[in-house]
Amino acid sequence: MHANKRLLIDADNVSVRLGQAELALDQVSVCIHSGEFIGLIGPNGAGKTTLLRTLLGLITPTSGVVHREAVAYDYIPQRGNLYSGITPLSVLEVVKLGSWGSESKARAALKTVQLTDLAAKRFNELSGGQQQRVAIAKALAANAEVLILDEPTTGIDEQAQQQFYAILHQLQVQGITIIMVSHEVEAVLKLVTRVICLNRTILYDGPPEHFEADKYLPSVYKNQHLQLHHHHEVPHA
Amino acid sequence: MLEIFSYDFMLRALLAGLLVAVTVPVMGSFLVARRYSLIADSLAHVSLAGIGAGLLLGTTPIVVAVPVTALGALLLEWLRQNRRLSGEVGLAILMSGGLALAVVLATIAKGSNTDFSSYLFGSITTTTPADVYTLAVAAAAILVLIAINYRGLLHIAFDEDSARISGYRVTLLNYLLAVMTAVMVVLSLRIVGGLLISALLVIPVVTASQVARSFAWTILLAVGAALIAIVAGLLLAFYAGIAAGGAIVLSSISLLALTMIWKK
Repeated sequence: MHANKRLLIDADNVSVRLGQAELALDQVSVCIHSGEFIGLIGPNGAGKTTLLRTLLGLITPTSGVVHREAVAYDYIPQRGNLYSGITPLSVLEVVKLGSWGSESKARAALKTVQLTDLAAKRFNELSGGQQQRVAIAKALAANAEVLILDEPTTGIDEQAQQQFYAILHQLQVQGITIIMVSHEVEAVLKLVTRVICLNRTILYDGPPEHFEADKYLPSVYKNQHLQLHHHHEVPHA
Repeated sequence: MLEIFSYDFMLRALLAGLLVAVTVPVMGSFLVARRYSLIADSLAHVSLAGIGAGLLLGTTPIVVAVPVTALGALLLEWLRQNRRLSGEVGLAILMSGGLALAVVLATIAKGSNTDFSSYLFGSITTTTPADVYTLAVAAAAILVLIAINYRGLLHIAFDEDSARISGYRVTLLNYLLAVMTAVMVVLSLRIVGGLLISALLVIPVVTASQVARSFAWTILLAVGAALIAIVAGLLLAFYAGIAAGGAIVLSSISLLALTMIWKK
């Protein structure tokens, strides 16, 4: 944790009911401080996306309150929800949405995510990993201090994933706060400074080295059990 | 060839067509980007109900049709935003409901002199000077509004949530786009007709999307494609004596087909 950490988001006892269904979030309390890299994990239907959207103010909680510091946030939705219309949008146009039209700022952001050469390409022509990086560049061009990502690496090949994680790590070092939902538990544990495991309520909230996936997520992450355990033990060996 | 310019009605039709061509595809670019192009069809059908009501009341039909269609647009957007109905279900209900009401009202108003079918398929002889003035004012206002809100509308087209987080007034901009579409749909009825107007919102944009590499270029090329289609369609309508809307839409589709062949 950083000594000069600042409280950015404070969600207090938040419950969310979507439609008539049962609670998607049940009395969740979470504080997000500046400089943190949070991995949000949990089974399907655990309310991860709902929590992200609630933290951002896109969903009003049924009960409880969310306080947000007035800093720039950006939200990168699940890959399938990124733009797919037939009207072409150039990569530069997408990033300029973040920079409020400034081309120099947009180009600098594209450089950070190593996509300078693709500025004139159509967004739709890019691979999934590249599209996610463009979305990151848009957030950087907007001077976003908090980046919220929903399963950014789903369906992206291993190499592109590693490249993507390297960029996220670099951003975190630069002081950007990151909250990321992911199913790639093993990769997340290596990357983040804090893990939140959610299944409508918070099951675990703490450092990655103390998280035991087989305890909190026995059925979901069965396949990754051995590897996780191995990874878990190494730092303590 | 130049004899067509000696006819006042033809000049008015061309002028009105030009105004439609520079405005409608601009809105169409945003609607197509959001996969919401069917809204024009639904609103056109609602506007026909407004025309029917106007004929029945004995007033200038578009005076009734503009507010009726604008209300339809607000209702559709409200349904979409509040997820009361999925987008396409709302569109389908409004589409058939609007046309049903239009047919009923037009049948009751049959005594009037106005030919209802000119509103269905467009007619070059019925455009009045007042129609052209109204269209000019509306087109100018809409283009200015879009220019002012361009970045917000584009951000919404890319991703509504991210636009909202960036501080854009997404709900307001969505209602604005819906109402602007409604107004242009009604004002284009004379030229293209209610059953064909959506083609003008969509086809030039699709044509432009074949070659453009950015949104800004798509808008420019779509306006160009619409201009070509409307002028060609009006000339066809004049010389062949066919319905203007049909001629314009077929010209537009031909241009799309040519573009696709050329691109291959």
